[in-house]
Order: sequence, then structure tokens, then C-alpha cells
Amino acid sequence: MTLQMPQADELVLNNKENIILDLKKISSNVLFENEEITPYETDGLTAYKQKPIAVVLPETTDEVSKVLKYCFNNNVKVVPRGAGTGLSGGALPLQDCILVGLGKFNKILETDFENRCVVAQPGVTNLAITNAVQHEGFYYAPDPSSQIACSIGGNIAENSGGVHSLKYGTTTNNVLGVEMVLMDGTVLRIGGKNLDSEGYDLLGLITGSEGLLGVITEVTVKILKKPQSVRAVLIGFDTIEDSGNCVADIISKGIVPAGMEIMDRPLIKATDDYAKAGYPRDVESLLIVELDGTESEVDILIEKVLEISKANKASYHRASASDEERLRFWKGRKAAFPALGVISPDYICMDGSIPRNKLADVLGEIYKMSKKYGLGVANCFHAGDGNLHPLIMYDSNNPKELKKAEEFGADILKYCVKVGGVLTGEHGVGIEKRDLMCEMFNDNDIQQQLRLKKAFDDKNLLNPGKVYPILHRCAEEGRIHIHKGKTKFPDLPRF
Amino acid sequence: MSGVFQPANESQISDFIRDSAKSNNPIEVVGYNTKAIGRYIQCSQTLDLSKIKGIVEYMPEELYIKVCANTSMLEVMDLLKSKKQMLGFEPVDYGYLYYGKSNYGSVGGAIGCNLSGSRRFKAGALRDHLLGFRAVNGSGEIIKSGGTVVKNVTGYDLSKLVAGSYGTLSVLSEVVLKVLPEPEYSETFIIYNLDSLQAINAFSKVMKTSLEISGACYFPKNNINFFRLNDLDNTHSVLALRVEGPKKSVIERVSSLQSIFKEMKKTTILELYQSKLFWKIASNLECFSNSPNVVAKISLAPTDANSFVKQFCDDPIIGINNKYFIDWAGGLVWIEIDNLDPSYLIIEKIKKFCTQSNAHMTIVKSNMTYRSTGSFLTSASDDLKSLTSRIKKSFDPKSILNPGKMYAGI
Repeated sequence: MTLQMPQADELVLNNKENIILDLKKISSNVLFENEEITPYETDGLTAYKQKPIAVVLPETTDEVSKVLKYCFNNNVKVVPRGAGTGLSGGALPLQDCILVGLGKFNKILETDFENRCVVAQPGVTNLAITNAVQHEGFYYAPDPSSQIACSIGGNIAENSGGVHSLKYGTTTNNVLGVEMVLMDGTVLRIGGKNLDSEGYDLLGLITGSEGLLGVITEVTVKILKKPQSVRAVLIGFDTIEDSGNCVADIISKGIVPAGMEIMDRPLIKATDDYAKAGYPRDVESLLIVELDGTESEVDILIEKVLEISKANKASYHRASASDEERLRFWKGRKAAFPALGVISPDYICMDGSIPRNKLADVLGEIYKMSKKYGLGVANCFHAGDGNLHPLIMYDSNNPKELKKAEEFGADILKYCVKVGGVLTGEHGVGIEKRDLMCEMFNDNDIQQQLRLKKAFDDKNLLNPGKVYPILHRCAEEGRIHIHKGKTKFPDLPRF
Repeated sequence: MSGVFQPANESQISDFIRDSAKSNNPIEVVGYNTKAIGRYIQCSQTLDLSKIKGIVEYMPEELYIKVCANTSMLEVMDLLKSKKQMLGFEPVDYGYLYYGKSNYGSVGGAIGCNLSGSRRFKAGALRDHLLGFRAVNGSGEIIKSGGTVVKNVTGYDLSKLVAGSYGTLSVLSEVVLKVLPEPEYSETFIIYNLDSLQAINAFSKVMKTSLEISGACYFPKNNINFFRLNDLDNTHSVLALRVEGPKKSVIERVSSLQSIFKEMKKTTILELYQSKLFWKIASNLECFSNSPNVVAKISLAPTDANSFVKQFCDDPIIGINNKYFIDWAGGLVWIEIDNLDPSYLIIEKIKKFCTQSNAHMTIVKSNMTYRSTGSFLTSASDDLKSLTSRIKKSFDPKSILNPGKMYAGI
């Protein structure tokens, strides 16, 4: 691992056996044998692996509180984990940590249609929430592509999005309340079935805090009634610019589509080969626009979108005539990951957000970088909300390629920031983008966020080494390079 | 150091706060200084942000607007209107409540109080529309968070934290707000003569449909006569449901509402112009125009709204002269407390109700005595208060920005 993590606490490592014995007194689900903890050594960012001291799988809030309090009193680091599907390494264990897995918190506690919400334990999957309410025609709006496996608690930690966030928002706009445990064991309830709570908006702060501020033990989320009608249009363009202009035009004409996705030529080919979605193969850029609402509203909007696409030199367009056809349009896009898995042994998925009008510029730059690094790239873009996912292909059997792919990814993200975008739209910073934070934030910004972290966790024991650079101050270069295991700034204070 | 300081730019704000922090001099931060929300505080210095105004950048296709924090909310709304766009959270004009006439105040003021109007339950609160900001913290450091893009999980979402912080964490200098296209058309379906329980049931019924209602409020019979609209009978209680979108779709959805509520004896439809006016009057609290009383809002689970109304508005002893209305499809009750007893017993009872039902009260107007001594919020648990205090310190270690504005001692 080239990534620098917080220095392991020798006292804790030497006291490993006792810590495990003590934890066993608190929880009956403590795993520590090598083969038991192996499944927990990595998350969706599989390039990095590390086994913790032990894995605890608590079953009650009280148990979580006691485990955290014990760790707090004994200066043991804690890494929380939901379903482990995160793509930025937020749940990567540390050598000297206790991994707290929320997998046993897997019950839906209440479906409350009168107040339009669901109360669930954090280990429940995103899709299970929709499944629990769909018999009444309701659903939970944020739909990250991992929704079949990712947990709702993890969604809150990462502020997960999905393809419908332009119209329906991300997790932060759909969560009403949480119960959480602070590192010292304090249990707090924030929000509930009401819309606004008094005081500082802790709910908004916790959402997207990547497990650094507290461990979520219960969530209350808003549910919505399914729209009457959903239709999609497939539009092909000869240039990326035309598709970008079309998106801008759709928005400036006052249309807010439920979803709006762009794929570039390499991804169109890969996904169509894999999923047989019936995409046009002779276009440079393919736009999927999904519209929902009442039947007549959707029909009106589809007509408008087709008109706009013609004015923007679309070379192909097709509106879905049935729900089967609509789902076929999405089949390719949703299979982007496995499709790439077929053509490349490994890939990393980047996650920058950019102003929509910079799409052609940014993609042009990405293709140039692809040539420079000699690595293939395919792109999908949540065009509605400016969230770009370049998929960089590499071969992990060639040890040099991961490093190259990471550098390529970092260059893309730096460029996103340069054009007015941000490092991550929905995957989180984790360890993956941690050392790029100084590209976006200056020292004052980072220090403010670190002080805020201390307000929740003054010993910096909860998920340390994630999101914020390990060094106390932003180094001038922004990224910390490790050479022969030594940092470039040995005299700077560490956490 | 004392008096009023009017900085011309962010760097002057920073210098002023840095000096004040060094000398431990508390600062009251004011924008338009036209509303008196929050606890009354006395500071030797006032930081008047009058000059921190102006539109920085408006990008209609990118759906955002960047403005200096003390820009007039009305100016922003007018500019957006010229491009057929709007702020989705429906800014509230508390001018009526305070002075009996329009005064939206500043963008920064609205952010400080997280003020959202009737569309809140569908479109989100103001805090959901704040994409990023620049500000000066209590040490005088210039900090930023967020950006101009809607999807952003880079670092903690401090925008959420500063919205509704009553200026106790930092002084905003520049903010980025998400904008949305204005709906092409809207109508409001009115049902008369329901009592509060029937109203809550009607909200529930309509929220279980796909009709995408974007406004749902209820005014009881004793709090309706301030509406002066040709097609609205202001002698009965009124339940109003707003539908927005393409005209054809709006008309279809309103007709669906008519069939859902076909058993209702008296209904009517407010078309575009009157519908817009209705929601402006409702959202802007014109029912409490120039109120001399305590006015509070209670954010609660819709199923608790009726028991709140029964206890505090319909009760013959404590509630009979209190005026109220329900907004956010049952999620918000507004109450004007008539003849406040000298010991504020009713406020204590409301707080108790809130604590028991996990609801939250915010007093938005009260007299100076109450503002100086009482708590304008429900009051959080000790653990939450302790965390709040630590968060405050992380931004403002010397507690010099609006100290005590939110909670006494914080």
C-alpha cells in the first residue's frame, strides 16, 4: 500500500488479546480469527486491504454505545462499516482498529404511510426500503447503482445519490432523522418524523460525513408516491458538444427531468455489447432523458425534449413506447460496471462533479490524458446534476498500472476542480481522494473542518485517516507523496 | 472598541472579527436588521453587513445564483423571475408579521434563520438549496464550503450547518443558491368547512396519491377573513391544495382532486393569478400581520398536528383566542398566542408537548421581555446542547459571534 494511514498505536497492538476479551464481554459477535475477518479487510475500493484487530457486529444501540465507549476509554480506533460497497475506501480498516459492522441492524422498524416515512435500522439495504413500501405505491427516491446491496446507513454516511437526484435530491434531501452514537458512547436522536429541527442542522452535517462524526444506529427516511407515468428518450449525437448543449437547453427551457444521463462512445459500445440494450452504435454521445409525472405531463415533456434535441443536431432519437422499452434503455447504462469488467481486467471509477456546460471541455481533456497515460477510459455522466464518472481501465497484474491509473484519476479530478467543479459528487472522499482535498480547500477550510471533527470526536478515534489529509496542514503540492515509506514532511505534527 | 462597523468587503469583515476576537469583544451581526428572531442579545459592537451586497454570478442553465450575503432577497427573486426561474424553497416575507407590509430582508438573514415557505415539504428547506458559501469564522479566518454544483460530497456539508445557525458560527460573505424553473402554470383546489382533524385526514389522503401537490395548508374559520380573493369565500375554514406544472397536467390533476374529494359539499378552484396570490398571502403570514403577540411555528409529524391544535388552539381555556393555521401538509402549525400569561405557562406547555412528541417550536416574534429571558426554541437535551456548544466553539472559540442568540450561554 502506497497510501499513508495514521500511525498504528503500539500500545493497542500489544494489548490486542485483552481488547478482544473485553469486547467479548460487551458483544457476543466479536470476530478476530484471520479467516473470519478477511471479508472485512476491504470495501468497494478493492485495491486497498487491511485487517483490523477485530470485527464487532453489535445488535443493539446500547451495544454500539458500549463498544464505542470502551474504545474511547482505551484509545482504540474504530472504523464503522455498512454493507462495504463504498467506492472511496471509507470503510477500509486500520491495522490497530476495531471494525464495527452494522450488518445485524437489518430490520425495518416502521412503515408510516400517514407521515410518509420509514424508520429502519442502518444495515437495511436501500432497495429494501422501497420494497417495504411499494405495495402502497411508495418508494424511496435516492437510487445509487449499488442499491440492491448498499445499506441505508452507508447511504447517510456517504450522502449517496443516483440517477434521479436532479429532481428528487440525494440522501441529504430525503432523510428525516437519525439515532447516532458518538465516539464517547453518547447516544443522540436527531430529527424524526418532523421536517425541521431546532438548533444546528446536525442531520445535514452527519449526512455525507463518511463515518467520521458518529455511528448511525437508526434512520428515518422520507418516502414518495410513485409517479403515474415514467418514460424515457434515447438521443444520439455526433459530438459531445451537441449533447452538452442539448442538456443545457432542456434545463433552460424549464424542464427538470427525473434522470438525464450521457454515455460516451467507448461506454456505449461496451454496455451495448454486454447488455444488448439496442443503442445506436454510430454516435459519439448518447443521452438518456427520463421524464415522470402524470401521463399527459410526460407526453408533453417528451415532445418538448425531442424538439430540443432536433434543434441540437441529434442524429438519433427514440422515445420509449412501453415500460419494457424504457427499462431496456436503462439496461445498458446500469450495466456500465460489469460491461467494463468484460473488456478490462480492472478499472477505477472516478466521481467528479462539474458545471454542466464544461462537459465537452472536460471529456476532451480526459481523452488527452488517456493517450498520455496509455490507459483506456469510458465515461458516464449524470448530466442533470453534473456528476461525471470516468472509468479508467487498467490491469492490476501489471503493478505499474494501478499507480498510473490513480495518477490519471487524480489528474481528472484536479481538472474538474479547475473548471469550477468538485472532487466527488457522490462516492465520498474516503482514502481515495483524501490527498487531493487541498486542491479544493485551503488550509483555513481544512482546519475548520478538522476542528468540527474534534467537536464530535476530540481524540480522533472514529474513522481516522479518511477524508482529510494526514498531515496537519495542506502541503504546498496538495498531494502527499510517499517515498520509501517516508513522508516528505517528517517534522509536521500527526494525529 | 464599540459601536457599529460597516465593512465594505470580506477582508474587512475578517480584520474586524480578528481584532474583536483578540480583545474578546462580542459582536451582534446584522443584515437588514428588520426582524427580531432569536434571543435578545446585547453586544458592545454591531457588525452591519449593509454593504456586503450584489449579484456575483447568475447562471440560469447551471441552475445556480451566487450573491453577496446581504443582497436583498427581493432583488434575487426579481432577477430569477426575469429568466422564469425561482428559489424552490419559496422565500418567506416576515415583513408582514413585523410591520404589516412587505420586507423580505436579505438573503443572508433568511439563511441564518433557515426560512422556508409553503413548498418546503415538496422542494426541501432553504438549507437544501444552499450549495456553498464563503464566510468569516469567529477567529476572523475566511472559510468556504460546498461549491456551485448540486452533487457534492467533498468534505463536511457545512452549508447545512450555517443555514439556521442565527449567525452564531460565522459571518456569511457570499452564498450560492440552487435555482429551479418556475412552473408553467398553477391552480389551487379549495375545500371548505373542514375541521382540523378532517383537514389532516385530507392531507394524508392527497399525499398518498401521485398528484405531486406542492402546497397544502389549512386555515380555520377564525383565521381566514384576511384573504380578499374574488373566488375565495372567507367565511368558512379553508383547506388549500396547490398543483403546479404544465397547464394540461395541472388541469387534469385538479380534476383528479375533484373526484377524490367528490363527497365534499363545498369546493372551488383558484386559477393561476388567484392561486399565486393565495400562496403568497399564506406563506408570508399575512394572517398575523403586524401581530403584537407571540407567534411561533411548530414543526411536527403530520399525525401530531391535530392533537396540537386540539390542545392549544381549540381548548376552551387556554386556546380559544389563539389563532393558528397548518402548512406543509400537516407538518407545520403556526400559532399566534393571544394574551400571553405573565409566566408564559402556555409556552412551557407547548415546549412540553414538543419534547413529548419529538416536535420543535421556534418563536418567530415575541416581546422584548420574553426575548431577553425566555428560550425561543424548544430547548435541546443536555447531550445535544453540549455538542452544540462544542460545535459553536469549533467555529467561534471566543464565543463572540451573536453569543446567546440561539441558546443562553452558547
